[in-house]
Amino acid sequence: MENIQFIDLSVSSTIILFLVGFVGGMVSGFIGSGGAFVLTPAMMTMGVPAIVAVASNMAHKFPKALVGAYKRNKYGQVDIKLGVIMGIFAEIGVLIGKNVMVHIRATFGATGTNLYVSFVFVVVLAIVGGIVLRDGIKEKRCEGKSDNQEPKELLPLTRWVRGLVIPGTMIHFKSIDAKVSFLILAPLGIATGMLAATIAVGGFIGVPAMMYFLGLPALMASATELVIAFVMGMGGSVLYAMEGAVDIRLSMIILAGSLFGIQIGAIGTTYVKDYVVKFVMAVIMLLVLVSRFFYIPGYLSELGQISPMDHDTIRILNGIGEGTLFFALLFGAIIILRALYSGIRDHHLAQSTDKDKDLGAVAAHLQLSPVGRFERFLVASDGSDFSAAAVREAFGMAKKCAAQVHVMSLVATGIEYGGLGEPVLKKELAIAQDHLDAVKKQWGTMGVPCETHVVHGQIVEQEIIGMAEQQQADLIVMGRRGRRGLARMMLGHATANVIGKSNCNVLVVPRAAQIEGRHIVLATDGSRYADNAAVTAGHLANKIKAPVTVVTVVETDSEAGAVTKAEQTVKRIVEYLKNQNVSVEGRTLVGRPDAKIIEVVQEKNADLIMVGSHGLTGLERILVGSTTERILNGTSTAVFVVKGV
Amino acid sequence: MHANKNTARSPGALAYTLLLGIISATLYLLLYLYSDILTNIATMIRQGHKGYVVIPIGIALIFSFVHGAFTGRFWDLLGLKAKK
Repeated sequence: MENIQFIDLSVSSTIILFLVGFVGGMVSGFIGSGGAFVLTPAMMTMGVPAIVAVASNMAHKFPKALVGAYKRNKYGQVDIKLGVIMGIFAEIGVLIGKNVMVHIRATFGATGTNLYVSFVFVVVLAIVGGIVLRDGIKEKRCEGKSDNQEPKELLPLTRWVRGLVIPGTMIHFKSIDAKVSFLILAPLGIATGMLAATIAVGGFIGVPAMMYFLGLPALMASATELVIAFVMGMGGSVLYAMEGAVDIRLSMIILAGSLFGIQIGAIGTTYVKDYVVKFVMAVIMLLVLVSRFFYIPGYLSELGQISPMDHDTIRILNGIGEGTLFFALLFGAIIILRALYSGIRDHHLAQSTDKDKDLGAVAAHLQLSPVGRFERFLVASDGSDFSAAAVREAFGMAKKCAAQVHVMSLVATGIEYGGLGEPVLKKELAIAQDHLDAVKKQWGTMGVPCETHVVHGQIVEQEIIGMAEQQQADLIVMGRRGRRGLARMMLGHATANVIGKSNCNVLVVPRAAQIEGRHIVLATDGSRYADNAAVTAGHLANKIKAPVTVVTVVETDSEAGAVTKAEQTVKRIVEYLKNQNVSVEGRTLVGRPDAKIIEVVQEKNADLIMVGSHGLTGLERILVGSTTERILNGTSTAVFVVKGV
Repeated sequence: MHANKNTARSPGALAYTLLLGIISATLYLLLYLYSDILTNIATMIRQGHKGYVVIPIGIALIFSFVHGAFTGRFWDLLGLKAKK
């Protein structure tokens, strides 16, 4: 085993490691990957032994993959089963890859391994860099034309893989809703692992393999690749750590810089055109390739494959190689920071112009508070059945209220686009735009003004609330549940958070709900928030011409006099609504609030429940009021949550 | 790039980001203070005490989660947001 010695960390070497991590992370975030083929050589240049450099690099990468996989799993983009199975095969691939290297080392010495790694680097980077450059040139030529769509039909290769039935080896995967033999997965996983063991970027094989062999959508393939990277990286890190080769100090300093950098790189991609990302990616890959080239004559000379070169020449060539690598990093960093600076400046200017327009529009409105105003609706649609009902009811209500509808679709993604980088995101955004175009086409005939918005971001509720603020929405319309897993069982996490944190009202539409204006049940507890709900209910009842039943429920263990107080509350609200020319009746009931309210809804065949949202501060702001949440979970009727002002 | 008063820059979100930043900084301070011990642990692993392997792996996981959550919010807080 190679002599393992950790370097002494001085202040300057710590700062250099942090900066290398930062720039490596920035390049990674911008082009989707890249830190791996930059960090190991950089550490080696600082005097870190090769095995410690590889091990420490791996140990900083695998938890990043876990964090990424965890985030992306929340958006339903990860097929955990597929990722774990592929990860296990990839682990086998890593072991084979390592053994190949050990064998080469035993036969040809350390120079043989270096030559092998450099050769694989050159071949892979030439192929991938060439493809990316070609795509970039093609896209620049076809700028403005969208030819970046996901294939609508399965590829012949995918059809063949899915059609291949080998009894006893078939495994069902939810992401593609099909069975695939693990005998197909084995070589794909092993190849991914072998490449990762050699050049530390297994994603170059893993992501395209899952897309083209199994038919996974690009975003899902890149997200599932994170699980593979985690399983493989964790296994590899444990193996290296057992040899005492992981210098966790180096790993964590690099991680510190890398996590700052990766965010900047990922943000930078959103301010430049797709082909710019591809050009930068291609140039960096090709520069790294060239830098490896300068090492090859030295290796060949040491192996005696070419006539011997003197040490000074080899040192000069190696110096040029290091210089080229340094230049590649510097080039990437400058391009990214420049793109970010000019992009943000232009965007800022455009935004302030838009803001002036918006302020003008707001000034024209007579009402200042969102209570009872029904002019701009925002509906979040992900194309699932759950959101289809929300879209339908948003347009239905907008028609009755003469409101305009903003439909948004969100591609939930993090900084970790995986091995394929920005193009994956662009494809998903194009798919989301297609979906919105279809929505606009389907509902545009109703004469409701409609605008569409595709956004991407890490936190779903933050993006929805941000869009509502930006568009000055009076109402956010959402489905009740998520698409996958536990989210199907209960109030969706994003929906609950939007209710808790938004400043405007939220209409939650379960899949089976239809708002026809039959009857509104207004649940009130006499609080200020419930009064807001009453005012809003008055406005809405007039617009959709629906009668209202005001309900207050007193819990059985309430103090004496609670019923009288509740009756007074109901009476007050009924009087108010009568003055608003609404057909209204009042009920004061005793029991569990959510159960009693749902009973009244059933009795009246109501199609809308209106409640005031509790809690404007602290924890309560995050959590939906418990009664409101129980109502949302216990009914298939639409629930209108009125926010306090 | 817009500041959103009720999301990234609300007092609650700001406090949470600061808290993550403080935890992250504390972790790095501990890493610095105990760096000799960590180097010794690697030596002990090499000498056959394989059980200590959980320490570097655990550190990697904890740092990644805390520092990852912090940096994710850090640029947002400074107003550096992805363009829609």
